[in-house]
Amino acid sequence: MSKRYAFHVNMALCIGCDTCAMACKNQYHQEAGIVWRKVYPVSEAIYPHRDRAWMSLACNHCDNPPCLEGCPASAYTKRDDGVVVHHPDLCIGCQQCLHTCPFGVPQYNPHTKKAEKCSLCWERLDAGLQPACVQGCPTGALTLVDLETFDDPNAIQFPPGFPHLPEVGPSTRFTLPEQPKIVRRES
Amino acid sequence: MHESKSSGAQNIALALGNNLSRRSFLKILMMTGAAAALPGTGLLRSFSQEGPVFGRATFAGPGAYQTFRNACPRNCYDTCGIVSYVKDGVLEFVEGEPTSTYTNGGLCVKGYAYPRTVYSPDRIKYPMRQVGRGSGNWERISWEEALDAISGKILEIKEKDGSLLGMALTKYSGNFGITHYGVEGMLSSLGYTTRFVGTPCWPAGIDAQNYDMGNMWCNDPEDMAQSKYIIVWGANPAYCSVHSLKYIYEAKKRGAKVVVIDPVLTQTAVKGDEYWQIKPGADGALALAMSRHLIDQGLVSREWVAANGLGYDEYEAYIKANVTVEWGAEQAGLPVDVVKRVAEEFAAADPATIWIGYGMQRHVNGGVNVRAIDALVAMTGNVGKPGGGARYGHLFTWGFNYNAMVQAAPEGSVGYTGATGPKGEFDTGQGADAAATYTDRTFNINKIGQEILDAQDPPVRLLWIANKNVVSQDFDKNKIVKAFEKVEMIVAVDLFFNPTVEQADIVLPTVTPFEDWTVNVSYWHYWLHLNEQAIKPLFETKSDIEIASALSAVLNAKQPGSCTFPQNIDAKEMMIKEFNDGIYQLFGITSWEDLRKGAAKAKLPSSASWSDLKFATPSGKYEFKSEIAQTNGHTALPEYKAGREAYAPLRLLTPHAKHGLHSQFQNLDWMHDLNPEPLVYVHPRTAGAKGIVDGDTVRVFNPTGEIRLKAQLTNNVPADTLLMYEAWFGAKNGFNVNLLVDDVSSDMGAYKTGSPGVAIHDQFADIEKVAA
Repeated sequence: MSKRYAFHVNMALCIGCDTCAMACKNQYHQEAGIVWRKVYPVSEAIYPHRDRAWMSLACNHCDNPPCLEGCPASAYTKRDDGVVVHHPDLCIGCQQCLHTCPFGVPQYNPHTKKAEKCSLCWERLDAGLQPACVQGCPTGALTLVDLETFDDPNAIQFPPGFPHLPEVGPSTRFTLPEQPKIVRRES
Repeated sequence: MHESKSSGAQNIALALGNNLSRRSFLKILMMTGAAAALPGTGLLRSFSQEGPVFGRATFAGPGAYQTFRNACPRNCYDTCGIVSYVKDGVLEFVEGEPTSTYTNGGLCVKGYAYPRTVYSPDRIKYPMRQVGRGSGNWERISWEEALDAISGKILEIKEKDGSLLGMALTKYSGNFGITHYGVEGMLSSLGYTTRFVGTPCWPAGIDAQNYDMGNMWCNDPEDMAQSKYIIVWGANPAYCSVHSLKYIYEAKKRGAKVVVIDPVLTQTAVKGDEYWQIKPGADGALALAMSRHLIDQGLVSREWVAANGLGYDEYEAYIKANVTVEWGAEQAGLPVDVVKRVAEEFAAADPATIWIGYGMQRHVNGGVNVRAIDALVAMTGNVGKPGGGARYGHLFTWGFNYNAMVQAAPEGSVGYTGATGPKGEFDTGQGADAAATYTDRTFNINKIGQEILDAQDPPVRLLWIANKNVVSQDFDKNKIVKAFEKVEMIVAVDLFFNPTVEQADIVLPTVTPFEDWTVNVSYWHYWLHLNEQAIKPLFETKSDIEIASALSAVLNAKQPGSCTFPQNIDAKEMMIKEFNDGIYQLFGITSWEDLRKGAAKAKLPSSASWSDLKFATPSGKYEFKSEIAQTNGHTALPEYKAGREAYAPLRLLTPHAKHGLHSQFQNLDWMHDLNPEPLVYVHPRTAGAKGIVDGDTVRVFNPTGEIRLKAQLTNNVPADTLLMYEAWFGAKNGFNVNLLVDDVSSDMGAYKTGSPGVAIHDQFADIEKVAA
């Protein structure tokens, strides 16, 4: 049985430290301005403290990837293990994928004049290693899971604030953050 | 099935509802529309003309790289071991040391930026001379020219003054690699000089723990996983010690309760079970109140204090006579019932521990407040226990030879007469021998501006700055820059053109850890990391000891015998000379070369400090009452001491940032991608009263200075408090929190580090909206 790789973002453990985002730049040296993984603060409407709960997001390696379906140059492929790969040698820089991806994942690189995005470190996966971001996470909040066997009952696919698009089938799974009891100073 | 064209990024940003994320998404969208028109900012400039090429990369396969062992030396709890991956002489990427259970294969946002530190186009590449300080009018000079000018000044001072006391050194924690104490060695090898001594970081707490226990010595942080109750008091490991979080999480998983006490609802605070928003500086009052409740409820570990304590009865009598729970809770701003409940829970848990942060001792009463918290841990019998302890820091693993540091003065050198105190927390000799004829002159490292302004006979004529961005990190920036006008020559050794380099006459380019040989330990965990030279030094950079060696050669050519620093050194040999049998035994290794295979951990008799309950105090007991403290001008007991009077309407806190370590890392363009600009955090109610809305440009000001920056509204900070994280954002950004932080001392620090600390968090300011 083939694998279906996905990121599991455990927001209860995530401290928004941006280590994952920089671990990615450390591996790939994206030009300033290009970031494949970004740690988004969760809105206060969803978590009541500003910049205290986070969603670490990169490509969601969707079941039905709109980037792939809409690409006129067939520059995207989906591997048997679920990884959606962008092939820069085929990319014509038309930016169609920037518009079709509902999660805003692909970025246009003005230096290469092509699109680019998270590769789920498939070169590392093929070498038996963890993705750079997962390996870097100091709290265990970001992990690589196989959806064929992943059965965490607390994990969800569409947390508040994340676009609800079941037909696209984003592979990323989330665990929601918790809140402490808070004793504020009376002033 | 797809969302309509264009706005996927906007959708998610809007859903997440945050302005910053929306703005960055808009930036991305803007790039998509007008990409070709964008200037080539951010293009990774390669060094193909200069040496190795650093550009876009991919993972080339496990066999494609040479690996080296390195360590992050930037004054951090975590002091991570690093594995460096090098291909064709280029540092391609770094990973965390997998053989250390503490680093555990991962770094942090700062550590992963190291490849950009090494290959940043902003690095200082050659020795340079600035014509007109602050002018930016730099000209490239050769090492020969630079050392000729510096050595000429040294000899001129000696000729004029009859001593080298007019040459001063300020150095701290830019690189804590052991061979970097060769900077102090270089000064010693020239004669008797002026040293800025002490530490801006943690001195009040160091003294406090020395009074109580005879040393600063913390449990292994990895044993927090065994704790049943953890109070994180004034520490923010989610920003400052990310690798410690996993032990706190593990303890929670095993059923421990975690309480975070902090003036700010920090990222750490939301990961605990309970958060207390304490009034800054009221930590001692709160600890005393909790202690009073333990006494009232019969929850003091009588057996422990009788067997291991000195002066406990007097401490209890003091508390009964002077402290009520109601009073202490009110000082801290917290409800009485909550204080009582947590005191009871803490006493009932076994083991229970308190992590005492460095932030909470940066107050005029910081040292005595640490003593009151230590006492709370001791009264409950938690000192000396695995999973317990009053955790602050340690220097247990720092027993190197300091071969590079220990250098003799040239024959006939003249210096300061009389005894001096210790020259910082790492000075194991603890001060000059009073019997010595001459010594160095010592000035307070935390008052560099004032000390230079006041210095006479001789004044500071030549200032050497290494491992320290003084103008960013020391206190009262404007005073420092003014004081520098008195100094005849300023030499800075650095990586980047930071605000200190801006005020220098000569800058000498130095190496990153990857171009250096040294060895590193932590003041928190118990691992030892080798730092190998992974790549050849770029450009004309030299390490601190290579600079010392080159200077010695020039001086001895001009005036034989004028400098004792070895003139021909090998950086690797100098690293090897720092090891000794004590280190080998402590870490269970037979040679430094064992560390090439991975990190080593100290073989501890117990994960707990003071596990044999034999304390290093004069009495051998835990001293609730310390005569040494009294002799040094403090109360013998950890009695209540009031905080600093407010001198402006709002408290100003300037703690450590997530994306930088002091003034390092946040200047890199890679870091700007994740955190583009400084902000002042203001409570919505406070902002509302001043007509300030989110994103407004504001002026934060007090009698020391002012800063203009954008405001972010958040109830993470109390209504009476302003918050800015300290950082240097790079040459184009003048942000510097120390424009607003004066140099008022904390209560303790002089005993063990030579100078008191600074009341960094006893600062106040006002805020108003200004035109953007």
